[in-house]
Amino acid sequence: MEEMLRVEGAWFLDGENFSRQFFFIGVRLWNGRKKIMRNRAAMGVIVLAFVFSSMFWFASCAKKQVDTLETKPKTETGEGSVDKGSAAGKQSSSETITELSEAERRAKQQEMEIANKMAVFESENVYFEFDKSDLTPEAQAILKKKAAFLQQNPNLALLIEGNCDQRGTIEYNLALGERRANAAQRFLMALGISEDRLKTISYGKERLADPANNPVAWSLNRRDSFKLLR
Amino acid sequence: MFRVNPGFLFSHKKALLYFTGIVSFLIFCFPGLSSGRIYIDINAPSIPKFKIAIPDFKRIGGDSGHPELGNELLKVMSNDLELSGYFSPIEKGAFLEEKDAPLTGDKINFKDWSVIGAELLLKVGYSCMGSRLQVELRLYDVFWGKQILGKRALGDIAGYRHLIHKLSDEIILKLTNYNGISLTKLAYVGDGTGQKEIYTCDYDGYNIQAVTSDKSIAMLPRWSPDGKRLAYNSYKQGGAELYLKDMVSGVTKRLSRRSGLNIGAGWSPGGEELALTLSDQGNSDIYVISLEGQILKRLTDHWSIDVSPSYSPDGKKLAFVSNRSGSPQVYILTIEDGKVERLTFEGKYNTSPCWSSLNRIAYTSMNENGSFDICTIDPNGGAVRVLTGDGWNDEDPRWSPDGRYIAFSSNRTGSYHIYIMNLSGQNQSRITFQKGNQTSPSWAPG
Repeated sequence: MEEMLRVEGAWFLDGENFSRQFFFIGVRLWNGRKKIMRNRAAMGVIVLAFVFSSMFWFASCAKKQVDTLETKPKTETGEGSVDKGSAAGKQSSSETITELSEAERRAKQQEMEIANKMAVFESENVYFEFDKSDLTPEAQAILKKKAAFLQQNPNLALLIEGNCDQRGTIEYNLALGERRANAAQRFLMALGISEDRLKTISYGKERLADPANNPVAWSLNRRDSFKLLR
Repeated sequence: MFRVNPGFLFSHKKALLYFTGIVSFLIFCFPGLSSGRIYIDINAPSIPKFKIAIPDFKRIGGDSGHPELGNELLKVMSNDLELSGYFSPIEKGAFLEEKDAPLTGDKINFKDWSVIGAELLLKVGYSCMGSRLQVELRLYDVFWGKQILGKRALGDIAGYRHLIHKLSDEIILKLTNYNGISLTKLAYVGDGTGQKEIYTCDYDGYNIQAVTSDKSIAMLPRWSPDGKRLAYNSYKQGGAELYLKDMVSGVTKRLSRRSGLNIGAGWSPGGEELALTLSDQGNSDIYVISLEGQILKRLTDHWSIDVSPSYSPDGKKLAFVSNRSGSPQVYILTIEDGKVERLTFEGKYNTSPCWSSLNRIAYTSMNENGSFDICTIDPNGGAVRVLTGDGWNDEDPRWSPDGRYIAFSSNRTGSYHIYIMNLSGQNQSRITFQKGNQTSPSWAPG
C-alpha cells in the first residue's frame, strides 16, 4: 500500500512519471495475479491497465527522444547566433561565410557517404558458371541491390565489364564475356534502369582478377565487374 | 630412296623388285639421271630425318673483322636446318676430319663422314670485306661423295641472319623441291612490359620488333597473305576495335569501331577482304568487311556465339567456332549459300580453327584433363590427329604459309611461349624466350 500512496503522490507530477508508475503497478499486480486469478473481471482490468500504462510510457519516452533530437539544431543555431552577434556589428557578410562552410561540410560528408556506397557497389561482382552467361539466383539478388542503388542515384551511370576465366581461346572468351555483361544489363533494364545508363564492355580473359591456374581462381575470374560513372 | 640397301640387289623373291632395284641402281650411277632427285619426300606421312654433318664455317680470305661471325653464321644455319624438321645434325665431337680440311669435293675424305653416320655434309666458307659478307656453301651427298648443291651469296654483314636464311632455304629447296620457311615471319602478343603488345620476329624468334605501344590491350595479330599488312585488335580507344597496319609504310588505320566486338579478323586468300566477328546487333556474328571497313556481307545470323572465322584456301568456305550446339565447336560455312555444317564432335571445347593452304584444319581442343591440345582434321571431318598431348595448354595454332608447319603457344615451361612444329606434330621447338608470356602467333611469308 505504500507503493500505491507513492503513486498517489506522483500523480500530478507529470505524465511520464504517472504512466511509469502505473506500468510498475501493472507489473506488480501481474506478479501477484495468483491471488486475484479467480476474479476474471479483475484480471481484465489488470491487463488493460498494463497495456495502457505501457503505451503511455513508450509514448512519453518517444516524445522525450524527439525533444532531444530537436534541441540539437537549436544549440547549433545558438552557436551560430553567437557568431552572428559578435560579428554583426562589423561585417554582415561573415554570417553567410559560416553558413556556407557548414553546407560545404555537409555536402562533403554526403559525398563521402556516396563514395563509400559506390565503393561497396563496385566491389560486389556477379559470378558465373563455366562457359555460361545466365544469371544464378545469387547473381540476381546482387543485381537487384544494384538496381535499387541506381534508382536512388539517378545521376550515376554504370559500366558492366564481362570477364572469363583463363581457359579457352581469346575470341570465344571475348564473346562469352560480352554475353555475361549483356545478361546483367538486360536484368537491370528489366528492373527499370534505362538502357542509356548501362554500358557494357567485354575483356574476355584479358583482365584476370586472380591469375592463378586453379578452380578457385577460375571461379573468381568468371565475373561481371562494375564501374559507376558520374 | 636415298639409302640403297646392297642386299636388295641380291633378293630373288620377286622379279619386279629385282628389276626396280636395277633401275634405281642405274639412276644412282648416272649423275645425269639423278640430278633432279628429290632427297626428302615431304608429302610422305612420316619423314625420316637426315643425318647432316656441319663442320665449323671456314674463313676464306677477306679481312679479319668480326672474329665471332663464323660461329654465328653456323648457329643460324644449323638452327634453320633443325627447325625444318628434316635434319638431325651430328655432334661435333664425333667429327674425325681435321679443322683445316678442304672445302671442295675431290679433296674431301668422305669415308671420315660416312663412318660417323653422316648422310649429308655441309661445308661453308665465308669472307668479310668491310661491311660486306660473302658466303660459299657446298652440300655433299656423303654416300656418293658428290656435291648436291653449291651457292655463293653476297650481302651486308649487318643482315647476316637474312643471308644465311636464304641459303638455308636453298638447301631445303634442293632436297625437297619445295621452298622452306627460313625467311618467314611471325607476329605474336607479348606481355613483358606488363601490357599486351604486338611484336613481330623472324620465324626463328630473332629480330624482334614492336608493332604496338598502345599501353592498353593489343591482341589477335593477323598477317595478310602477302605479309605486307597486319590486322589486330586494340583496346586503346576503349573497346575491342580492329586496326590495320601497313607494315611497309608503318601507317596504322582503324578499320572497324562498331560498338561491342570487332574481333578475330580472318584474311580472304587474296587479301582483299576480312571476315570478323561483330556484335553491334546485340549478338556476336560473322561478317565480311572490306579493307576500308565497310560491311560487305553478313555470314551468320544466329543467337549463339559465332567467332574465329578462317577462310578455306579457295575462299569459298569458312571454318568458325559456334556454341549453337551448347558447347564451342568448329563449324564449316559455305559462303555462297550460307549452309553450316558441324565439323568437330569429339570433346566439349574445340576452338580457334585455322585452315591451311594444304587443306587441313588445325584447332585447339580441351582434353579430358581440362588442358588443351592442338589437333588437325580434314575439312570433311576425317583424319583427326592430336598433335600435342603434354598435359599443358597448347593453344592458338596458326599454319605457316606453305601449310607444312604450325606455330602455337604453350605454357609447358610454366609461362606461355611460341613454339613451332611440323604438320604431324613432330619437332616441337620453342621460338620465343622473352619474359612474361608470348601468345597468339600469326605466320607471314618471307
